[in-house]
Amino acid sequence: MRHKPKSLAEIVGNAEAIQKFADWIKSWATSLPKKRAAFLYGPPGIGKTIAVEALANDFHMELVEKNASDYRTEEAINRFAGLASQYSSLFGGKRIVLLDELDGLTGTADKGGVGAITEIVKTAMCPVVLISNNAYDPRFTNLRSHCLLIEFKKPPVGEVAKHLKRICEHEGILAEESALKFIAQRSEGDIRSAVNDLQALAQGKKRLTYDDVSWLSHRDRQDTIFNVLRMILYGRTCVGAKQAVDMADVDIDMLFEWIYENVPAHLTDPHDLAKAMDALSMADVFRGRIRTTQDWSFTRYVIDYMTAGVAMARQNTRVHGWIPFKFPERIQMLSRSKADRAMRLSIGRKIKRKCHISAVGASREVLPYLRIIFKNNANMAAGIAKWLDLDVEMISYIAGDEEKAEAIVKLLS
Amino acid sequence: MWTEKYRPKTLHDMVDQKEIVERLKSFAKSKNVPHCIFAGPPGTGKTTAALCLARDLYGEAYREHVMELNASDERGINVVRETVKTFARARSIGEVPFKIMILDEADNMTADAQQALRRTMERYTETCRFILCANYSGKIIEPIQSRCAPFRFTFLPRNEHDKYLRHIAESENVKLLSDGSDAIFEVCGGDLRRAINTLQAAASLNKPLDTKIVYLITGRASPSDVQRLLETAMNGNFLEARKQLRDMIQKYGVAGSDIIRQIHTEIFRADIPELWKIKLADIVGEADYRLVEGADEEVQLSALLARLVESGSELRKAK
Repeated sequence: MRHKPKSLAEIVGNAEAIQKFADWIKSWATSLPKKRAAFLYGPPGIGKTIAVEALANDFHMELVEKNASDYRTEEAINRFAGLASQYSSLFGGKRIVLLDELDGLTGTADKGGVGAITEIVKTAMCPVVLISNNAYDPRFTNLRSHCLLIEFKKPPVGEVAKHLKRICEHEGILAEESALKFIAQRSEGDIRSAVNDLQALAQGKKRLTYDDVSWLSHRDRQDTIFNVLRMILYGRTCVGAKQAVDMADVDIDMLFEWIYENVPAHLTDPHDLAKAMDALSMADVFRGRIRTTQDWSFTRYVIDYMTAGVAMARQNTRVHGWIPFKFPERIQMLSRSKADRAMRLSIGRKIKRKCHISAVGASREVLPYLRIIFKNNANMAAGIAKWLDLDVEMISYIAGDEEKAEAIVKLLS
Repeated sequence: MWTEKYRPKTLHDMVDQKEIVERLKSFAKSKNVPHCIFAGPPGTGKTTAALCLARDLYGEAYREHVMELNASDERGINVVRETVKTFARARSIGEVPFKIMILDEADNMTADAQQALRRTMERYTETCRFILCANYSGKIIEPIQSRCAPFRFTFLPRNEHDKYLRHIAESENVKLLSDGSDAIFEVCGGDLRRAINTLQAAASLNKPLDTKIVYLITGRASPSDVQRLLETAMNGNFLEARKQLRDMIQKYGVAGSDIIRQIHTEIFRADIPELWKIKLADIVGEADYRLVEGADEEVQLSALLARLVESGSELRKAK
């Protein structure tokens, strides 16, 4: 995540909420405010956590970040209470304590629970920030009354698109306006997923076109394909990996493509890679058996191999850093090469008429040689073009170079 | 294209497949032809023999009596029902009482279409004789095979191959060096169509034709990048190897079975311990088997590449 805003000014949208939040923090400088905690709430991925981080950065405060799993036990809660009891940190700076992902608390099951947090908030000596998707969860009724409620809303599509554009400019990617707008629209205000999508789609590219992104329309936002892939490529149990299939909103073949594309980057150890690819190969063998027998019940083995088989391949590969998921290149190539295939076939038909070979065979057996001739010898090429009755478009396709094509066409007239 | 310019016109012109040619000549002489299957690898003269036979039978106007269909392009049952039937049942006028239907790449026909073809062959034997050309006669259904006279075409022997290429080179004023001719044979393995195409493409460079030029040409046109593919994988770069593989399959249309066959050959030429060669052969064999069973060639071959990457890393560790 290289494009996280570092300052409040860089955050997309939610100007009002941010103003309110900053004013509250500033008020701590003069006296202890009535509400010791700010409760930021709103849908995921719109910059709540980032706003807190940016604010700490802008005001030079130390940010102590915790999330739900960190305050499950009494001991952890006490440690957290200790932190919150002092305004100044060890190094004399001011401190903010952030409790993220409050939704993750299970209430009664967690020893500390919401009640303990409420007690701490009441007596806190430094700003405490709580973050949740839904502040109006009944569990938070009491806690809420001690907090300053700040709502974060989804930013408009235009703002998200603008943000994406800035990233592209920064990365030196030439992106079509419509492509960015499409990603922004799909994300429904979730900036994080929009940026993730952009990163996955534009990885290693210099240009991003509408065609590159339009496949996103197949995807539902709730459980993104990225989550599904994570469950498979980083799954620890067979059942967990297999469950991913139900959560995926793409069909099995498309999911297979996603896994097939991403296995090598995420399972880098040669042994793990070989095992994972072996599992995919077996999944494919069962796809072949389905095709010959038309017995679709074999699908369950396809699923076993491509999910659990791949998950269990991970033995030596160490996880470090965030590796983005990539869109299956083969699918992109397929849609891009559609026009290419049509062109090859129409040239193939011309060859077929003269050479007693199938159009398909001609594009495989003869076309590669024509390419060489058309590149190197305009005279010979012109003779062949005339004999085969190729049109200008075909000539320039085979020559693969405007200048050479022109020279050949000139000889023809 | 030189493949057409130098395609033999009559059975007399055909340089090889002597026994077959003799039998076909006797058909032409007696003006009676049974249904035939011409089976054999590509570029060995199956289509040429069929066309030559037709010309010898009917003379220059043979096209009026002959229909050529390519099953790779039109392999559905409807083609058999419509096109083939319409052609087969109309009576021929002239000296020879039947017409000839050449069905190229007949092994690519669906089983249903072959069944339909069987009935058509039977019903219209009087008016039409079929010549089925196929790489593998095994892919033609039994009832059709039993109705046809089989002819097995084989690759041209080395001397005939060289002689033919030299003949073309001389007529076209191309300087074909003997090592160039060797290289063409090596790369095309006796497939004369491929050999002539290679010769013409190489000639377009206007240089004396030696090994280097042939490999330069075929490096793009034929799947000879397999050696590089193998090296990339053994050196541990899976993603790059998969990309090379993808280019071969998608851009150049190389068949998966071709690639695997060449990998198999390359393994025994590679500079690795003897014991590993047989280990790798085992891996390749398993991949070859799965290639037949699986649905997706690239997936099967890249699983093989992953095994090669693994073997490469173990080999380095052992050193």
